[in-house]
Amino acid sequence: MTEPWWISLIKAGVIVNLIMVAFAYTTWLERKLLARMQNRYGPNRAGPYGLLQPFADLIKLVRKESFFPVAAQHPLYIAAPIVSMFTALAAFAVIPFGAGWQIWHYHVNGEIANVSIALILIFALGSVGVYGAIIGGWASHSKYSLLGAMRTCAQLVSYEVSLALSVLGVVLMGQSLNLVDIVNKQGATIWFFIPQLAGLLVFVFAMIAETSRPPFDLPEADTELVAGYHTEYGGMRWGLFQTAEYVNMITLSGLAVTLFFGGWHGPYAPLGPIWFLLKVFAFVSVFIWIRASVPRLRYDQLMRFGWKVLLPVATINAVITALLVVWVS
Amino acid sequence: MTVVATVGNVLVWAVWVLAAFACLGSGVAVVSFSNPFYSALALIGNLGSLAVLYLLLSSEFVAAAQVLVYAGAVMVMFLFVIAYVDPRLESPWAGGPGWQAIGAVLAAAALLVEIIVVIGLNADGSLAHSHDVGGTFGSPGYIGRLFLTDHLLAFEITSIVLLVAAIGGVILGSHSRRSEEGVAPL
Repeated sequence: MTEPWWISLIKAGVIVNLIMVAFAYTTWLERKLLARMQNRYGPNRAGPYGLLQPFADLIKLVRKESFFPVAAQHPLYIAAPIVSMFTALAAFAVIPFGAGWQIWHYHVNGEIANVSIALILIFALGSVGVYGAIIGGWASHSKYSLLGAMRTCAQLVSYEVSLALSVLGVVLMGQSLNLVDIVNKQGATIWFFIPQLAGLLVFVFAMIAETSRPPFDLPEADTELVAGYHTEYGGMRWGLFQTAEYVNMITLSGLAVTLFFGGWHGPYAPLGPIWFLLKVFAFVSVFIWIRASVPRLRYDQLMRFGWKVLLPVATINAVITALLVVWVS
Repeated sequence: MTVVATVGNVLVWAVWVLAAFACLGSGVAVVSFSNPFYSALALIGNLGSLAVLYLLLSSEFVAAAQVLVYAGAVMVMFLFVIAYVDPRLESPWAGGPGWQAIGAVLAAAALLVEIIVVIGLNADGSLAHSHDVGGTFGSPGYIGRLFLTDHLLAFEITSIVLLVAAIGGVILGSHSRRSEEGVAPL
């Protein structure tokens, strides 16, 4: 089931642009949902229901004056948001969104790249993405940025361990690191959120922490750190950091759907990508709902929760799954 | 079809040359920057280009693990510490190259010659022609099977060494904290 390289290239271009559109409307959805949950209206001036708000924001960010500290280390200061953005967008390449189609006489796969190590690749890109925050925080030459970068670094490294261990159960049940294989296995048996409920819970907590979303938004806790590692950033450079955060949220939601909720499978098979999109949308909405309802944790609570609760639960879940998989087969 | 194959080969060569020179260049950069933060970044570049070379040798798993463990986790700790120390205030390596640096370069050159001679003597011309590897070569399953059969002892011993290191780290950390708490306030 190979496809010509130029189809992959076109698909990559289309998907990157679709993700950017999805990002733009995730910000709109977030502001709208948060507003309704807080009994406000939210954006409602730019276009019907404020639907043009993301574009207004984009134009505002691009037109802002490029302004940064004199002491900032130029090449690194500029490179940091690019690193964040690149790793965030690249990670989506291995997430399957459909079963593949026969268009004219070409076969088109339902993912951009079908690699045997897809899952590790996503985690590897995630761990490289941390550098965006560290480099940005250090290169800004500001106390708040540096402290924010340190927090980001400690939090992301801590929760990455739990995130990787929580999916071990799914890997053992799917018997593959390839996401397409895992989705097909779920289509043939059951969706893994039923047998891997503990894994799913750990994954969701670690996922919120990895994307620095409330209640785990310690890296940019505005009451303590002004804005964390991107304090000294403005305009579209800040916009890139923000985009990376939202794209990471979309990618990790896609990963959760792929690993635990059967990927593109649904009651009506031909609707593959639509089912995938609906499930990702549901996940993103839950993210926003959590943001609206839970207050931020204290820093020591965050670390204790990560190392003393999530990690042991993920480990025990992996060990029990391994034993059961061996026992059943 | 042959045109496509040729283009593919040229592409592989181009990536190989790029990765190899990036590897060498970043290696030199690691030792020549006076600011340790930049040195650490160059080391990340070095590890990344090594991963690309692994990828060209069709060991995808090793490449991804290299990025995940070394470039992703270990180097984050390096940068973490260096950023705290703030190397812009004082760089211990400021000044020209001393006798130590010249000696190190000579020793490295001697080691390089030695490695080339040893490989050349032992390879018996097998470097000149390529080997075919199976489709599963370098896949996670293949490596996992090797770890649990041929290299089981080394694998298990490594895990014990890592466990000892982790326990050592915890003990060192808790010890220094206790001694800090024990200090009577002035």
